[in-house]
Amino acid sequence: MVIFATRLFYLQIIKHNDYVAQAAAEQIKPLTIPAKRGLIYAMDGTSPVPLVINQTVYTMFADPSTVNEESKVLSTIRQVAGGNLRPNLEDLLSRRESRYQILGTQLTRQQAELIKKQNLTGIGFQEESQRVYPEGSLASQTLGFVNTEGKGQYGIEQSLNDRMTGHDGLLKSVTDVSGVPLTIGNQNINKPAQNGDNIALTIDRNIQAYTEKALAAGLQHSHAPNGSVVVMDPQSGKVLAMANLPTYDPSQYNKVTDASAFDNPIVSTPYEPGSDIKTFTMATGLDKGVVTPDSTYNNTDSIKIGDRTITNATKGQTGNITFQHALNYSLNTGFVTVEERLGDGTDINDQSRNTMYDYFHNHFGFAQNTGIEVAGEAPGIIIPPTSADGNAVRYSNMAFGQGLDITMIQVASGFSALVNGGTYYQPTVVGGTVDDSGNLNPAPLKAPRRGVITAATSATIHDMIHTARQAFYAKQDKAGYDIGGKTGTSQTLVNGQYVDNQTVATYLGYGGDVTSAKYVIMVQVSGPGLNLQGNLDALPIFTNVSNWLIDYLKLQPKG
Amino acid sequence: MTPRRLASKRSTGTQVVRRHKPDYQILLFMGLLMLLGLVVMYAIGPQRANVLNNVYGTDYYGSTYFFVKQTISLFLALVTFAIAASLPYTFLQKHAGKLVVAGLGACALLVLFGNLLHVDAIAQCSLGACRWFSLGPLGSIQPAEFLKFGLLIFTAGFLGTRAQQGLINDIKQTLIPLGVLTATSLLFIIVIQKDMGTGITLVSMLAAMIVVAGLRLRTGLLITGIMLVVGVGLILMAPHRIDRVTTFFSGDNTSDNSANGYQIDHAKMAIGTGGLTGVGIGNSVEATGYLPEAINDSVFAIMGETFGFVGLIAILALFTALLLRLLRVSDHLVDIRLKVLVAGVFGWLGSHVILNVGAMIGIFPLTGITLPLLSFGGTSMVFIAAALGLAFQLSRYTVFGSKLRSNEYEDSQRRRGVGRSRNAGRRRFA
Repeated sequence: MVIFATRLFYLQIIKHNDYVAQAAAEQIKPLTIPAKRGLIYAMDGTSPVPLVINQTVYTMFADPSTVNEESKVLSTIRQVAGGNLRPNLEDLLSRRESRYQILGTQLTRQQAELIKKQNLTGIGFQEESQRVYPEGSLASQTLGFVNTEGKGQYGIEQSLNDRMTGHDGLLKSVTDVSGVPLTIGNQNINKPAQNGDNIALTIDRNIQAYTEKALAAGLQHSHAPNGSVVVMDPQSGKVLAMANLPTYDPSQYNKVTDASAFDNPIVSTPYEPGSDIKTFTMATGLDKGVVTPDSTYNNTDSIKIGDRTITNATKGQTGNITFQHALNYSLNTGFVTVEERLGDGTDINDQSRNTMYDYFHNHFGFAQNTGIEVAGEAPGIIIPPTSADGNAVRYSNMAFGQGLDITMIQVASGFSALVNGGTYYQPTVVGGTVDDSGNLNPAPLKAPRRGVITAATSATIHDMIHTARQAFYAKQDKAGYDIGGKTGTSQTLVNGQYVDNQTVATYLGYGGDVTSAKYVIMVQVSGPGLNLQGNLDALPIFTNVSNWLIDYLKLQPKG
Repeated sequence: MTPRRLASKRSTGTQVVRRHKPDYQILLFMGLLMLLGLVVMYAIGPQRANVLNNVYGTDYYGSTYFFVKQTISLFLALVTFAIAASLPYTFLQKHAGKLVVAGLGACALLVLFGNLLHVDAIAQCSLGACRWFSLGPLGSIQPAEFLKFGLLIFTAGFLGTRAQQGLINDIKQTLIPLGVLTATSLLFIIVIQKDMGTGITLVSMLAAMIVVAGLRLRTGLLITGIMLVVGVGLILMAPHRIDRVTTFFSGDNTSDNSANGYQIDHAKMAIGTGGLTGVGIGNSVEATGYLPEAINDSVFAIMGETFGFVGLIAILALFTALLLRLLRVSDHLVDIRLKVLVAGVFGWLGSHVILNVGAMIGIFPLTGITLPLLSFGGTSMVFIAAALGLAFQLSRYTVFGSKLRSNEYEDSQRRRGVGRSRNAGRRRFA
């Protein structure tokens, strides 16, 4: 007994700290508390509604070496979760040497509980979180998706991946032998998981849904495969809707064969925007004071620049006509003339080119990333006048929207500055965050660039665009509102040559009440080998969305 | 108390001993140890149940499962204690031979059902060792413990008679018959049931008895020598024993990752983390599945973790006190057969405690036996209670002086703790 007592004294008193350390090394295990990925909300008017939520699903696996009631296992899981199972269950279960075979995926909690209740030996479940899209494919190219490793791909899932991922927590706890944390001891460290931010988009789910519907109807009417519509608030840069076709279902992203469907062409596919750009050329001329809506030039339906002759698409409006007239009929010569007047008035000289580059690139933000929170933004390109390619011919083309590659989001954002009084708002799809009780915390606005054109210029170009639309399409708009817009039919380069039999139809316009422009809509319709016209193929979509928006936004009519 | 004359069989012929108050300290120490075991069962039962539920994927074991079962075991043990304490010893003595035969028969049946017929419903086997009869929902019973109890009484009578005849060192009359009986029992327990621990405790019990019966030192050394040779042989026969011995000799800083090394490492870890005063009831971590056999064979280590150095010393003190009481009873009995019997109880209890605690603190190899009165498990509890009950009964018949010491002066000091009237045992003192 003395020996025992001595030994106990040695073990418990002298070596106590050693054993405590040994025990701690074995018993205290760090456990990761997974952070929840943030949800994505759209706006429904002023309140956020979920577009992307998380759902816990279960992967069912078997340890075939320990499964002993194979027929009971098969009948139970087939009855409970028939649709989620692998087709070759018998084969999987017969692999006796294996310790892990996945039998089924994406089981609901209820299915998993039902199977667990049967106490089947050798059957286990792994919990996984998966993204669920209550609105289906709505705004899918803005959202992106989350891949099997839990990483956001495309859209804001990719660009805001870090914010939405959050930070996993750490639980350092005394656990039992199978790793279950115990409440014993004071060495437990509990760093709670920081869940990812719930993102509230500026996208309004109703506007998005209507826009997608209108786009689909328009494409069907035009028999065109591709189309995009962006709707923005020109007074803030908030994107209210971005619709693209073709699109995809983010819950089935793995079934998409052509990865280009994941891109959002509005931000990631630069193109030659065409005649819409005449509004920017005009605004530049107005801002520089070299033209007014009523100043005139002599239209001969063609103009010679260097070795090229530029002609009008619409012929016959010859003679001394105003620039408003040229805008109404989208006469190329008029805007090449405006650009000449930015220089010495007879030629597209360095000064005119520098001025145009300055306005397009620096003031309107063309060929620069806007910083919109959608992954995969492409800047496009404007050849600077200092480059050999930035010659007079190139710049004469740019006056009516050819020879530059820019994205719809750049054009729509610049256009917002044209019609809102001259303030450039950086476009955004993120309106803020949503807290756990569903309240919206608005994101701070990014500093706008004021005075990209003067307020007076803005007011003038605003009116000119209004007039241009009213010249032909007044009857299509609801009475009492201020609607303006410009068609575009851009030629595309096929094998390095501009061709007339494959054109991109665009329409760029705004709508508002008597006080200000409330929305900007840009429409683009295209298809390989299709000759599409801005006024026939893009404008009806604009009109459709515009008239609906007036009601949806409850704009006050004039008078 | 009514003084009752014992039957002549109980007297030595030179002395008549009157029945007097029993030694209640035996009951006290036994009760304290049992209660302590129950407390620990209450504390770690839920964790143990959790571990088992996890292993078997059920929720069969409730959080009070072990506490309730242990309470039932304790109740049974106390009943057995009461029976053993009141059933006249002579009656048991008369039927001791039958008990041994029944014990051996039970072991043989176990061989039949377990090793030969493989009837799992009757015999519980693991790794080819069948040690238990299954009693269905009632639990299970270990016939080796029953055999041990039978041998205790039978051998006491046998050795006592031989001692009275002065033949205790006689090879033909005493040692060979006893050796044959022992060898037969060990054949079942160690060779067939592969239970070295129970075998060692059986041998220890018999050794304590034969020493008290008056074995000569020379003969004793000879027997010890033979036992050692046989013991080493038995160790070499079974791989798991070699394993345990090598684990033992690899010492404190063993990096042995065998199952035994694991159990001893964790037992020491549990004891070591207890420190001076322990982590407290319900805070044992080792009991949550780290330490194997946490509620059975390793309960001493869990108690070390829970109650610390102070607690373990107290537990050892309780065992020591109980063992000393048994020694004292044996010492003060007159009838050599009774002396030998109580010495057997001492050997039984003592060897269990020493082997179990020694293994837990890493100074003996692991043998896999229970810690009496504390470990979870009915069979061990019931039979040790029966043995203690017998000792309790016999403590009524002690005399005030040591019967091993002779011709000492009687003084008032000698009377302390005898607990009976001065003249109770002296009337016909020769």
